[in-house]
Amino acid sequence: METPQYVAARVQRALAEDERTNELGIRVDVRGEQVYLRGQVSCSERRHQIENVARETAPGMRVHNEITLVEMLEPGEEEHL
Amino acid sequence: MRDLRIAAVADIHLGEDVRGHYRKRLEGIEHRADVLLVGGDLTRHGTLEEGRVVAGELRDLPVPVIAVLGNHDYHSDRDREIISVLRDAGIVVLDDEAAVLDLDGVRLGVAGGKGFGGGFAGKCASEFGEPETKAFVRHTRDIAERWRSALKSIEADHRIVLSHYSPVKDTLMGEPPEIYPFLGSYLLAEAADEQGADLVVHGHAHAGTEKGVTPGGIRVRNVALPVIKHAYSVYCLGEDC
Repeated sequence: METPQYVAARVQRALAEDERTNELGIRVDVRGEQVYLRGQVSCSERRHQIENVARETAPGMRVHNEITLVEMLEPGEEEHL
Repeated sequence: MRDLRIAAVADIHLGEDVRGHYRKRLEGIEHRADVLLVGGDLTRHGTLEEGRVVAGELRDLPVPVIAVLGNHDYHSDRDREIISVLRDAGIVVLDDEAAVLDLDGVRLGVAGGKGFGGGFAGKCASEFGEPETKAFVRHTRDIAERWRSALKSIEADHRIVLSHYSPVKDTLMGEPPEIYPFLGSYLLAEAADEQGADLVVHGHAHAGTEKGVTPGGIRVRNVALPVIKHAYSVYCLGEDC
């Protein structure tokens, strides 16, 4: 079995460099045969693309997509500096 | 002199797939703020098409918009064209320079640009060794030097530095410390502290925290969208603030 750290590094690099994703802020953890993706993106399409790229880069492993969508609430109270 | 209300956001990462979403959140901004600052990573891949989406979302707002680019906006080597498209849409884009706006009699000076990395005092790269290392550090040093000149040129009631990369570690808390040198540089804070400013606004660190301060006491705010979780934050500058 490939060393988990190298799998995680390869997936993270693919997410940053693959033009379908270009996502730098996704945390990738590998435990045994499981890949966990965590972070935040703007829309569900981007969330799915990240999962696709991760699956292609770590074939045969189970990918858990725990990425959430960025909240964008109405502007809140102003801060007085 | 009346107070100024500064709306600020960064890392909006717009593209065709989210066209129109951000614009909706800007409705009514004129009731909440006098100006909107956007701290880079306007796009995801840095393509001209994405740049056009950004221009469409930010154009013709009832308040002036000042922006800088981020590292994502450089990825496709179309940064110059993106700047032109944004400027054509009436957005002030700072590329290591300053702009002064008259906001109903109060002059706001904003200086800045993308910024760059290198790390923070005591744990940073130096201009030594291989040409690649020297070029990396020199890029930040040159930017800091241009920001000094830009800040010096400002004659205004308030001064803000707008950056993509962070000038301090405080606002990176939450990010892995191993990547701090890729998230900012103390050289940016040093330039601001030397020339003086009321506020430094930046983005880039999606997992960081909002509030920090430079070694010289200037307030720093990380306004990356995943950090502030609102369409923008509003900071009030003035004697009554």
